[in-house]
Amino acid sequence: MTEIHLYEEAMCCSTGVCGPDPDDELVELSAALDQLEAEFEDAEISRANMQHNIDEFLNTEAIYDLVEEHGPEILPITTVDGEIVAKEEYLSYDELAAELRDRHTQPQEAH
Amino acid sequence: MAPTRPTTDARAIVEPSGSDTEFVFFSGKGGVGKSTVSCATATWLADNDYNTLLVTTDPAPNLSDIFGQEIGHEVTEIEDIDNLSAIEIDPDQAAEDYRQETIEPMRELLDDEQIQAVEEQLNSPCVEEIAAFDNFVDFMDSPEYDVVVFDTAPTGHTIRLMELPSDWNAELEKGGSTCIGPAASMEDRKQDYEHAIETLQDSEQTSFAFVGKPEDSSIDEIQRSASDLGDLGIESQLLIINGYLPESVCEDPFFNGKRADEQAVIERAESEFDADAMATYPLQPGEIAGLDLLADVGGVLYDGDDATVEVGSVPNGAAETSVDFDSLTDPDAVAEKLQPVDGETRYLFFTGKGGVGKSTIAATSATKLAEAGYETLVVTTDPAAHLEDIFGEPVGHEPTSVSQANLDAARIDQEKALDEYRQQVLDHVTEMYAEKEDTRIDVEAAIANVEEELESPCAEEMAALEKFVGYFEEDGYDIVVFDTAPTGHTLRLLELPSDWKGFMDLGSLTKGAAPATGDQYDTVIETMQDPDKSSFAFVMSPEYTPMMEAYRAAKDLHDQVGIETAFVVANYLLPEAYGDNAFFANRRAQQQQYLGEIQDRFETPLMGAPLRQDEPIGLDELSAFGDAVTGLDALGEQAAEVPQQ
Repeated sequence: MTEIHLYEEAMCCSTGVCGPDPDDELVELSAALDQLEAEFEDAEISRANMQHNIDEFLNTEAIYDLVEEHGPEILPITTVDGEIVAKEEYLSYDELAAELRDRHTQPQEAH
Repeated sequence: MAPTRPTTDARAIVEPSGSDTEFVFFSGKGGVGKSTVSCATATWLADNDYNTLLVTTDPAPNLSDIFGQEIGHEVTEIEDIDNLSAIEIDPDQAAEDYRQETIEPMRELLDDEQIQAVEEQLNSPCVEEIAAFDNFVDFMDSPEYDVVVFDTAPTGHTIRLMELPSDWNAELEKGGSTCIGPAASMEDRKQDYEHAIETLQDSEQTSFAFVGKPEDSSIDEIQRSASDLGDLGIESQLLIINGYLPESVCEDPFFNGKRADEQAVIERAESEFDADAMATYPLQPGEIAGLDLLADVGGVLYDGDDATVEVGSVPNGAAETSVDFDSLTDPDAVAEKLQPVDGETRYLFFTGKGGVGKSTIAATSATKLAEAGYETLVVTTDPAAHLEDIFGEPVGHEPTSVSQANLDAARIDQEKALDEYRQQVLDHVTEMYAEKEDTRIDVEAAIANVEEELESPCAEEMAALEKFVGYFEEDGYDIVVFDTAPTGHTLRLLELPSDWKGFMDLGSLTKGAAPATGDQYDTVIETMQDPDKSSFAFVMSPEYTPMMEAYRAAKDLHDQVGIETAFVVANYLLPEAYGDNAFFANRRAQQQQYLGEIQDRFETPLMGAPLRQDEPIGLDELSAFGDAVTGLDALGEQAAEVPQQ
């Protein structure tokens, strides 16, 4: 199993469809994560944002240290099995899929 | 059919029947006597040996006046009544507590500036609704009481928010969040929420009662709320119509006619409203306070007693100091706030709770302003669409011209606005993906996702706001009059631009959102804050609850959006020519007292409008009514001095 974890800034609505205009980046990200979860059986994807899941920031030392040092501008941070693979920006669908493949997580079609 | 059905029906509904704690919720607009009825019900239950808790979440509670004892935000025993305790919850404080609870753990990681940014994000109407619902949930586990009486009830909107739509669970698993609030913190309370909603839906354990006035608009509003709740599996069991004119005091044709209209409304409610029971209570010459009057209310509602209306004598000096309205008002000061300055469009907002007559005041003002030669548009955001009834002419979603020269009217159709908004968002998302041909993303699935998200109640608010903002761009009007939706809703609409502006500056929510929209909201807010361009007017009847609600709403506008109230409208002033008896002398004295209080609290010009036998319908009646309204009567001459545009 491969765990992808996203640490995000405090936000009201992580789907991006909340507000006068949809947030393109968040809409795209939500769709990408849904699709990855469907395609990669072994992938476990979760998101934590500072407003709603502060505990995960406080209990994860590497994340805590980064935010304390750089402030929330360092977010979003993406980790794969605990290893930080991206800071300050979201990975695209293709990049996330590549990370999963690198870690030998099999697409469901292969079964 | 007699006006009151056997009151044992009402009794069976509120009286506990089993060993589990039972709950009674009173729902209704401010000023209908909801607090009175709740207090009377709680007192009646306590007198019947049920251990009773009364919970009020009224922001301006008057339990202390009613019981003659300070209560506050701790459960307090009522001194003169065995078995009765009460608590006053301040909804603003509750929302603030909720915010602080959420923020507290973040202090370890974030500095003050960052904390402040998060605080601003939490300053959303959704958070307030969650906090309000928490108040209900907290008291729905009260095994030490036989019955808990709430003087307020969650709305269909709140329940929908809290009902955790099926995809919410999936959202929780993903650790994400929805606009209904912090997923993680809500997960802890998920079971509490589910239990609370189940209890609300259980008609054995929970009674939903509506309190209204004997007015068509009041009954219509209750019908809408009840059907909203019905869709969520919550049955309305009891309808209480409060404040009908007692027969003995209606000697002249004016009040006799009003009384006949009221009785017709009561009969209509009885035949149309799908409740298990109905009860009525008459208008009293003064305010209902003290245990004797409370006992009278309880006796009438639940024991089938006859109401006691002690008319008493004409209050001291009332005959000489009959409402001296002229000294309180300055027509020119009001007129000034109605008219454009330096050829810039003037935006007029009439706001206030349902049933205070703001649609009529807005339509009348628009009619008189158009008569005075100003190109005028009147817009309603009221879902009840009273405007069409008032003009007696069809009013469409887009500005439609009515028979009066210079006057157009438009009604924001919520459904249409929502469709437009959804389409706009979906088009935007589709376009966004179209520009990324190399993506391996399943575009259809992504769009379907967004479509699902758009089913939220929040989307409805956005849609209404979008439409609202759109009217600021209508060209060619000297004056745009908004007949806004009831205050709470209005505030949400009006505050949101500011809130969103905050979100945009923070850049987190709408990272990459079109900056053009931000500018557009900026302009709207600036226009609303400029006293030369916008006038906010609070419409109220000169009574305690409506005054307090308006005052609170005005304060919110000031504190949160930086908007000052331009003037207040005191509607339904009792005419001098009719009601020549002690009952109405007492009512007039009471109005006089509240007019003074309104003056002291708001410190703005006062527009006074008389009580009419019938609501004005059609342009002729609106115009005639306008001649009796402070400020509108001063328009003709003023406009003549202004070069016609």
